Amino acid sequence: MRVLAVSNSGKYYGDLEGFISRLGNVEEAILVTSDSPGGNFSKVYRVGDIYGDLLARIVGQVGEPDLVVGIHTRKVLEAVSYLAGSRDLPIVTEVTGLEDMTVTRNILSGRGTAKYSLSPPAVLTIAPGKFSGQLSLGPPEVVELGEKPSTEVVSRSEKSRTGVDIESAEIVVGVGRGFKEKDDLKLAFELAEALGGEVGCSRPIAADYKWLDEDRWIGISGKKLRGKLYIAVGISGAPQHIMAANDVKVIVAINKDKNAPIFEYTDYGIVGDLYQILPILTRKVRELRGV
Amino acid sequence: MDVGVAVKAALDLNVLRSNPDGSVAVENIPLVISEYDRNAVYEARRIADSTRGRVIIYSFLTWWPADRKEKDFENVIREALALGGDEAYVVVDPTVSGSEPRFTAKVLASLIRKYGSPSLVITGEASTDMTSSSIAPYLAATLGYSVVTFARSLKVSDGGIVVERDVEDYIETVRASLPAVVSVTGEINSPRLPTLLQIRKAFRKPLVKTTLSELGLSPMLPKYSDYRLVTVKRKRVILEDGSPEELVDKLVSYLVEEGVLKR
Repeated sequence: MRVLAVSNSGKYYGDLEGFISRLGNVEEAILVTSDSPGGNFSKVYRVGDIYGDLLARIVGQVGEPDLVVGIHTRKVLEAVSYLAGSRDLPIVTEVTGLEDMTVTRNILSGRGTAKYSLSPPAVLTIAPGKFSGQLSLGPPEVVELGEKPSTEVVSRSEKSRTGVDIESAEIVVGVGRGFKEKDDLKLAFELAEALGGEVGCSRPIAADYKWLDEDRWIGISGKKLRGKLYIAVGISGAPQHIMAANDVKVIVAINKDKNAPIFEYTDYGIVGDLYQILPILTRKVRELRGV
Repeated sequence: MDVGVAVKAALDLNVLRSNPDGSVAVENIPLVISEYDRNAVYEARRIADSTRGRVIIYSFLTWWPADRKEKDFENVIREALALGGDEAYVVVDPTVSGSEPRFTAKVLASLIRKYGSPSLVITGEASTDMTSSSIAPYLAATLGYSVVTFARSLKVSDGGIVVERDVEDYIETVRASLPAVVSVTGEINSPRLPTLLQIRKAFRKPLVKTTLSELGLSPMLPKYSDYRLVTVKRKRVILEDGSPEELVDKLVSYLVEEGVLKR
């Protein structure tokens, strides 16, 4: 089988190699990337940026692969979907599992799953963090491509951010609309500090109130958690938020509304006023951990 | 300038139901307008107003059985019309039992080509039920349009579009040529609930139904199978009786027991 892998960052090469190595009988795996070359692929095409029309041109040159496997990031998603459309190929996105040639993905905002049986040629994106491994097809020959996509990038600005990486944090304290004022968030920051964790938030806190930067936003359109403990404070629990915390080992919710949906998706919940509960919890955690 | 919007009638996440074997009871789940499609219609209205164009709604009923879903589907389309659409062209076909992006894009492209061919088509960034996020680029490639996804602002200028795209760690401002397909995020605007007057007016706007065969398309067997609901594996221990001090003590001992809180 011939596979074309697509990534916009070197940190996903292991995900792609892991998925591809599980396909079996792969003779050739070409990587198209906009980051530094790496991984044990057969060949690497390095491009300035990942866009659909560029991918379509590369496929035109190397011939249609049996599978195109992209990492599920927004850049790659757009590009491989466009590629699929330009060649009338089936596409399945955000794949989380593979068995024989049947892939699994989440549907219904994480409340369900569905299977899809692949018959190549086909295009996929794989969810980050679900596959890992190494190919043994390299070291790859690296080809630099200077071609430009038809979409012109006028400017690029980093989102304002604090440098926190809640996706790789083991412990996250999430804040939601239960907090009355921006100043009150310090209660959550104190707890996170006592726990040795980070602070995340629900959509309104980042997108509507702009109390916290978007790199703390937990949601399908934001960051996804995969640590050992998530404490959701004053968060009612929109499906998109809950889904993004699905992979956490233990979920705790603190909310004064007993009927908040979040309680259905938690291991331990306290029905109570966060303004009372948080200071006590922080004190007890400090005592326990001696910090 | 006329602006098209691809709208999805999505399974209502608040009323999910499963069969005894755990499979999703699609037949019994109501349909609602997919969340970000409201933003798409709202944005289309804004652009059409400033360029004296129409807003054309396109939709394809993908959930089954069509006869039991048709009423919900029509309500979704009427809502899109109330939110700012001027007319709607939709496919309702009894032979359909599920779809996938490749087929949905094909159906939408046929509708768009047959009815109006607007040079700007807007979609939501993802549907709330299948969340593939691939319809906009797939449709663009099928129509031969340019594409920009995850737009959080959109401007038409000099025969092209200028879009701020949210690409995870940064915001990219891009310029693309028209015709184009653009998918929008929830941040692009804040749609208001339609007024009673708008809802009433929506019932007088043209809603044209067609079928696959009338569009010259043959039905496609969906390759998706085994839709199931994830059973919640959480322990759901709810602490509510006792003083705050006692509740926290109990929580802390559970967390120590779980090994997620260490001394």
